[in-house]
Amino acid sequence: MLPEALDHLVRGIVNHPDDVAVRTRQQRGRNPHFAGRGETLEVRVHPDDLGRVIGRSGRTATALRTVLQALSGKDSIRIDIVDVDRRR
Amino acid sequence: MIENTNAETIALEPDEAATQAPGPAATAASPAEPLADRVKRLESEGDVAADYLEELLDIADLDGDLDMDVEGDRAAVSIVGDGLDPLVGPDGMVLEALQELTRLAVYRDTGERSRLMLDIGGYRAGVRENLVKLARDAIADVRDEGEAVKLAPMTPFERKIVHDEVAAARLSSESEGVEPSRCVVILPST
Repeated sequence: MLPEALDHLVRGIVNHPDDVAVRTRQQRGRNPHFAGRGETLEVRVHPDDLGRVIGRSGRTATALRTVLQALSGKDSIRIDIVDVDRRR
Repeated sequence: MIENTNAETIALEPDEAATQAPGPAATAASPAEPLADRVKRLESEGDVAADYLEELLDIADLDGDLDMDVEGDRAAVSIVGDGLDPLVGPDGMVLEALQELTRLAVYRDTGERSRLMLDIGGYRAGVRENLVKLARDAIADVRDEGEAVKLAPMTPFERKIVHDEVAAARLSSESEGVEPSRCVVILPST
């Protein structure tokens, strides 16, 4: 449910909704802070939409995290926002 | 990108605008715009917002009905139902986040900055009731003592409710301090 919710919330605010893609990544302890704490949602957007999805001072990204956290019922959920050109 | 940033800056803190000096938000409700056009524009804002929120409720499997309204110079959308507390969050934090995203969705669709007001499960209505009571008590103190009263820090939405109540009592008020510690000060009549 969470990836769908994130996909919908982001699609609704960008100029290139067809370029939005969300995938779930399991944490493999790369970041010690989040090690073993489950999933990261990674949302890819068109490069032109990156600023819009992050917002001034990260305000929109924070709003997305706040809503997703509320829906997940968990304390920590990680959301990465990247543009479609970036290689993994 | 720069254009985006500006757009958001203006859309960020519009909640107090109605009682403050005319700012960028005033253009949205310019007196030159005929009432019928304005209502129509705000209704279409409500429609875009409702579509955005309704699909979110579907995805999250939450039950809620959407009410759309036009209140003065802004669109108002309420999600009513039980079990919506997670979407309100502590101190309405999740509600504020959802309102922000919804305004951005409206902006994407209409190209106009939205001052749309979102309520969920009657949260804002409850906050409003408490604030009106608090404002009335403070107004009575200002009248009795003849001295200014400074209230606790509030969000722009909360300050607006207090400013409106003070204006209705024919006193004046101002905001001082910097977010998030910005406070309303109620002034004695001169």
